[in-house]
Amino acid sequence: MRPSFFHHLHPPTIPARQARLRYTWGAGGFSVFLLLAVIFSGLLEVFFYVPTPEQAPLSIQSLTFLIPYGGFVRNLHYWSAQLLVLAAGLHLVRVIFTGAYAPPRRFNYLLGIGLFVALLLLDFTGYILRWDQDVQWALVTGTNLLKSIPGIGQWLYALVTGGDRLGAVTLIRFYGWHIFGLMLPAVIIGVWHLFRVRRDGGIAVPPPAQRQDAERINRTELVRREALAALFGAAGLVFLAAFFPAPLAAPIGEPDAAKQAALAPWFFLWVQQMLRWGDPFLFGVLIPVGWLALLALLPYFTPAPSAVELGRWFPPSGRAAQLIFSALAVTVLVFSLWAWLAAA
Amino acid sequence: MQRTRLVASILLLAAMAISIWRVETAPQPVPLAPTLTRQTEYCLTCHSELAEISPSHPIETFGCVICHGGERLALDADLAHSSLRGGRNPSDFSVVQESCGGEDCHSGSAAQARDHIPRVLRSIQATYAGAIANMRYTFGAQEDLSARMGIFAIQDPNPTSSSVPGLSAFDPSQETHPSLIAFSQNCLSCHLSSEPLPGKEYARLTGCAACHTPTAGTDLEQPLHRLTTAIPYTQCNTCHNRGNYELRSMHFQARSDQPTNRLDDYYQPIAQFVRCEWTLDCIDCHTRQEAMGDGHIYSSQKEAEYVRCYTCHGTLDELPLTRTISDPNDLALRLAFVNPQFDLQVGDTIIITDRGEPLWNTRRLPDGSYELLAKASGQRFTFRAVKGSACQQSAEQQESSYCHACHAVER
Repeated sequence: MRPSFFHHLHPPTIPARQARLRYTWGAGGFSVFLLLAVIFSGLLEVFFYVPTPEQAPLSIQSLTFLIPYGGFVRNLHYWSAQLLVLAAGLHLVRVIFTGAYAPPRRFNYLLGIGLFVALLLLDFTGYILRWDQDVQWALVTGTNLLKSIPGIGQWLYALVTGGDRLGAVTLIRFYGWHIFGLMLPAVIIGVWHLFRVRRDGGIAVPPPAQRQDAERINRTELVRREALAALFGAAGLVFLAAFFPAPLAAPIGEPDAAKQAALAPWFFLWVQQMLRWGDPFLFGVLIPVGWLALLALLPYFTPAPSAVELGRWFPPSGRAAQLIFSALAVTVLVFSLWAWLAAA
Repeated sequence: MQRTRLVASILLLAAMAISIWRVETAPQPVPLAPTLTRQTEYCLTCHSELAEISPSHPIETFGCVICHGGERLALDADLAHSSLRGGRNPSDFSVVQESCGGEDCHSGSAAQARDHIPRVLRSIQATYAGAIANMRYTFGAQEDLSARMGIFAIQDPNPTSSSVPGLSAFDPSQETHPSLIAFSQNCLSCHLSSEPLPGKEYARLTGCAACHTPTAGTDLEQPLHRLTTAIPYTQCNTCHNRGNYELRSMHFQARSDQPTNRLDDYYQPIAQFVRCEWTLDCIDCHTRQEAMGDGHIYSSQKEAEYVRCYTCHGTLDELPLTRTISDPNDLALRLAFVNPQFDLQVGDTIIITDRGEPLWNTRRLPDGSYELLAKASGQRFTFRAVKGSACQQSAEQQESSYCHACHAVER
């Protein structure tokens, strides 16, 4: 077969042991699949969404209830976006617990963290685009958090909201960030991330001489497995879209008025919980950004797992990173659950 | 592997088939673009069976959203109803201005008689100022019977010599006398903002719908989509014939029965009635300004009500006041138009009150007698003026008790 771009993405062969679902969870591949689904469904929504405060919620209602299959497409967009955050998160878990962040993959790990942050921001901006009463708390609180940053707070707030209050300019900025300002970098970093996987020597495995299992599968088999996973993924996604509609509420009346007793989007529930404890700058900005920096720099300050322990779960030489990551992950999960229970 | 692929393919096809089936079997949206808003709404997708609320509010003109609010495009019940004004009753006073107000609707100018909302908000039925003033005076919280407080604060920019300029909101927490505290807890259930007591005999909504939606004797759980100006006495009874107050303990003594016989079942046993007081409906005599206020704030019901027997029957010396309708835009014609049982025409002569309010359901007949249409029951009555009859009542003594002396029925 004549080499094509496709051959850049798939190596001729990969180690069979590391190609198993129980090793990778298929999380990275699923993320690519979900990213394609979210872009495709999002492109369809672009033709119907009207990014003005008056029209945004109405255009979403119109898309959801009146455009043939509009609700289905919106549900697909919603679910693929939520699952994408989940899949990317699981991919991160896998990478940490298999030591796949170790040199020479440290830079690609950073790209991955950048991609994850971009996904969270994409999810958040998309959530705000609903411009309905259920996003009001997150909109007001999220943008006010920027103000709490000493020195550059006001400037950042104006940059994000487009003025000194929330309104039409804010919405168009979120729209711009969502479909362009964040989407474009996410795609570029995503492609870069994929490219770097092969560049850094493919999936993390011990050096050839130290591998217990020399068996490899070829790219045809790999694509076959990916296609199968995509089939299952698509079935799940379509099923979710058919039975579980994306949330929607009545339009925002007065955007600056923070609605009490509202829940943040699920992926920021942990921040909402911390905000209950006081200083917004400390709990809403400093700690989350600090934790993110800690996560991003894990490969740089923890001992690198030894090459011989790669390609399997929980390499003992990566304990420090595994413990720090577990502590962060459990804290985030517990805080999220706490916020959710407090609201319920 | 092949088998797994088959399973995955079948799953995907099944999921897609379910999605298509769900979309294709969903109810077809029913659009409506009312002429007043020109904004398409889809409420009729689910509510096509609902009766039109009144001939004065045709659905093609008003639609649903202009009064009810709600999400006009949503086909999900929870979302569609999430922003309804006043829940199922948009005429509740907390939202009435947005729902029913507007210059061409019910908060327009007094000159055009479109000031229903500003009038009713100052009316004694809405403010409950009379009862509050009476109780506060009785228990020493104020020095006279002049109203100072209402259920809500309200002002009148143009008070008359007999009305008060404004009321502050009655705040029970500021009262110290135990009877006033008990009053605030037990006796504030029949003003127009209060929820009714439980029971079919008290079944009424709040705001405008308290009177204009005939819910009496119905189950309030079953929403009634109707507005009418032909308000039967039974609707008035949901407040005005429910029982009595025990003034010593400041408790409401509810009637145990549901009144069936108008004459004998009135809650005040000593009250006397002449025939028209128990055969007609309350609104056949009591005017819109009496019931819904004249725009001023009064300290008691006595100051708001002014229609007497003589309004229709005149005195020994005077025939009742009348007016011959010459203007096709006369208010009387507009009011009669809303209750089309009575074909009032330009050229008809109707009785008017001392204050010039038209009793549009009356007409002077060629033989000098008068005709009255009972607005709610549709019955027609003819009656004669006192003048020229055998009545010997002096013109100065016109309170109803004088008429009752001879004309009250035995009960």
